[in-house]
Amino acid sequence: MVAMTQLRVGERAKIVDLSQVNDLVKRRLLDMGVTEGTEICLKCTMPLGGPFMIENCGQCVGIRRHEAMSIQVKPL
Amino acid sequence: MMHIALVGNPNTGKTSLFNQLTGTYEYVGNWSGVTVEKKVGVLRNKQAKVIDLPGVYSLHPLSRDERVVTQFLLTESFDEILNIVDASQLERNLLLTVQLLEFGKPLAIALNMVDVAERRGIFIDQTKLAQALRVHVVPVVARTGKGCDQVERMLLEKVTERTEPLTLFYGEAMERAIERFIATWGTEESFPVRWLAIQFYEGNSYVHDYVAEKLPEATWRSLYEQAEKEVKQTEQMQLAQFIYEKRRSFVKEVIEQVVQRTEIGQVTLTDRIDAVVTNKYIGIPLFLLAMYILFQLTFDWLGAPLSDLLDAFFAGPLTDSVTAMLEAIGASEFIRALVVDGIIAGVGGVLVFVPQIFILFFFISFLEDSGYMARVALVMDRLMEAVGLNGKAFIPLIIGFGCNVPGVMAARTIEQPRERLVTMLLTPLMSCSARLPVYALFVGAFFAAHQAIVVFSLYVLGVSLALILAKLFSLTILKEEASVFVVELPPYRMPQWQALWRSTWDKGKGFVKKAGTFIFGGSVAIWLLSYVGPHGVNVNMDDSFLAMIGGVLAPLLAPLGFGTWQAGAALLTGFLAKEVVVSTMNIIYHVPNVESLQGLMATQFTPLSAFSFMVFVLLYVPCLATVATIYKETGSRKWTMFSIGYALVLAYIVSLAIYQIGSLLGF
Repeated sequence: MVAMTQLRVGERAKIVDLSQVNDLVKRRLLDMGVTEGTEICLKCTMPLGGPFMIENCGQCVGIRRHEAMSIQVKPL
Repeated sequence: MMHIALVGNPNTGKTSLFNQLTGTYEYVGNWSGVTVEKKVGVLRNKQAKVIDLPGVYSLHPLSRDERVVTQFLLTESFDEILNIVDASQLERNLLLTVQLLEFGKPLAIALNMVDVAERRGIFIDQTKLAQALRVHVVPVVARTGKGCDQVERMLLEKVTERTEPLTLFYGEAMERAIERFIATWGTEESFPVRWLAIQFYEGNSYVHDYVAEKLPEATWRSLYEQAEKEVKQTEQMQLAQFIYEKRRSFVKEVIEQVVQRTEIGQVTLTDRIDAVVTNKYIGIPLFLLAMYILFQLTFDWLGAPLSDLLDAFFAGPLTDSVTAMLEAIGASEFIRALVVDGIIAGVGGVLVFVPQIFILFFFISFLEDSGYMARVALVMDRLMEAVGLNGKAFIPLIIGFGCNVPGVMAARTIEQPRERLVTMLLTPLMSCSARLPVYALFVGAFFAAHQAIVVFSLYVLGVSLALILAKLFSLTILKEEASVFVVELPPYRMPQWQALWRSTWDKGKGFVKKAGTFIFGGSVAIWLLSYVGPHGVNVNMDDSFLAMIGGVLAPLLAPLGFGTWQAGAALLTGFLAKEVVVSTMNIIYHVPNVESLQGLMATQFTPLSAFSFMVFVLLYVPCLATVATIYKETGSRKWTMFSIGYALVLAYIVSLAIYQIGSLLGF
């Protein structure tokens, strides 16, 4: 189990733990179908500690780096 | 007449469907949250009204525009729900459908983007979906209007076989909690109280407020706490999450029955565009390049020649023929002066900028409809985070370049209330298209060789000041609130010409309308004030009322480099709408066209004071319409006054610094 920030661009992983994430962010991710057990793919990252773009079932979501840092994933 | 509510997730083509069904001019956008207002249209056959609601993922609202939907369901009367569902994202779309079915109004599903789903290897059996949910399902292509006839027919006939709301079994503990709620609340409602109970336990903030209004605090608190405790004991889960999981497992069962998947390992066009547009290294430069091209096209390559043509027409053929006509009907000198020197000079001086403004709005609509705006939020988030806001705040700012009013409204999609407030306060610093006529006038007179760069510097100044103030405000007003950022990045779509033209016209017509009302009235008033003085009519303009009024401000403005009564009068009237500054100057200097006005102004301004004046116009106060919008959106007199006050102070300080430092440096 690693933090999402450990993934390489293009790598797929399963989300294991979201409990450390800000509540509002968690709700939004849930709205978009991203929750524990969801399979995601890291699409790209922005420079200078900018946001991460992840994909799940063909839909893309942007989140901040420190949020990604508190999401625990299992690389596939 | 029947009322139909159109509900669905963001970016599912809801507004396109609305336009297809009603055929009225509506605004279509692809950025999640462009539909921020309730819009009502009439079906083509005039049998029913359709209400377009903001896109929501769930009835449980996070941002202000999402509250609109829950509020609508609870407080307004309507007959049917048309639920638009994105076939390529069936699971999250159906999660909303379940909540709507629990609400119990007759519901039909318009299944959109079946083609997108099939390209991803998702095949949906529509008959089975209809059976599983016991509602009608009609496949549509909202963008082209395919299937819309069928939707229309179905809406008018029997929309559903369902006579009862959907009842999911939420487990023993939760069911007991629901019963307790119903026993306390009673059943005398126009909607199922069971729905209210479930939303209440799920933590829906709007429903919470609604319940808290009718029940004493101790009662609703104990209801909630007991449910939370029992569910935690029996299910080892948070209440809200438990309810979500129950719904999700129902949706998963449905999907199992109706969807067939085949693995297609195809790289989509969106993936390929995103590989470039959101690339780590070229994402930001690409955005800046896009902005540069946008401004060049608007102001230089395309807009300027068109404006010149229009100006030549107003100054030449139009003025001549109107003068000839007035002479032919024997109008008095007063009427001639009013029409030619007042109305044509004032209104025409502003209307010549219509081409530029429409080009700008066209490109903003293009950015919205194509899906690029959400990427801008992603690309710019790092910068916005540094000043205490988030990437989504950048979108109201870009829309603000077109007009500050929709910019302020676009801030509704920002979840955190304080961040939203700061964004609204800063949007007026974006140089809107109405300020363009002022720049064009001065730049043409004083900086003919460097037009583009001078105008560009004003835009950059506005953005830079907005960022600096954001930092300042976030250290003071925003202190207790953490900034958050999550953004959905919808697939790219080639905007359709029809939709683009509609939304360009929708935004641009406000400008034309303003020319016919505000600017027309303002021009007449200003001309009259300049024509009449304390010593009679048709006075020398320096002895007119306008000169007296402007003269009061002149000493205050002298340190900024433009202490003339003309500048004072123009700025005062500019509060109505910033382009009135140009109308006023046209009237005051009493010239037939822009070129001779520019020649005349060279005697009143120096290049430095002209620049200082443009900066002052950029910053000094939001226009009347923007102030009204800020008041409506914040609901606070204090913040509205603040938005005017800080802008005035800022404008004065910056212009003073530019003029004084510039003078010292010998410009």
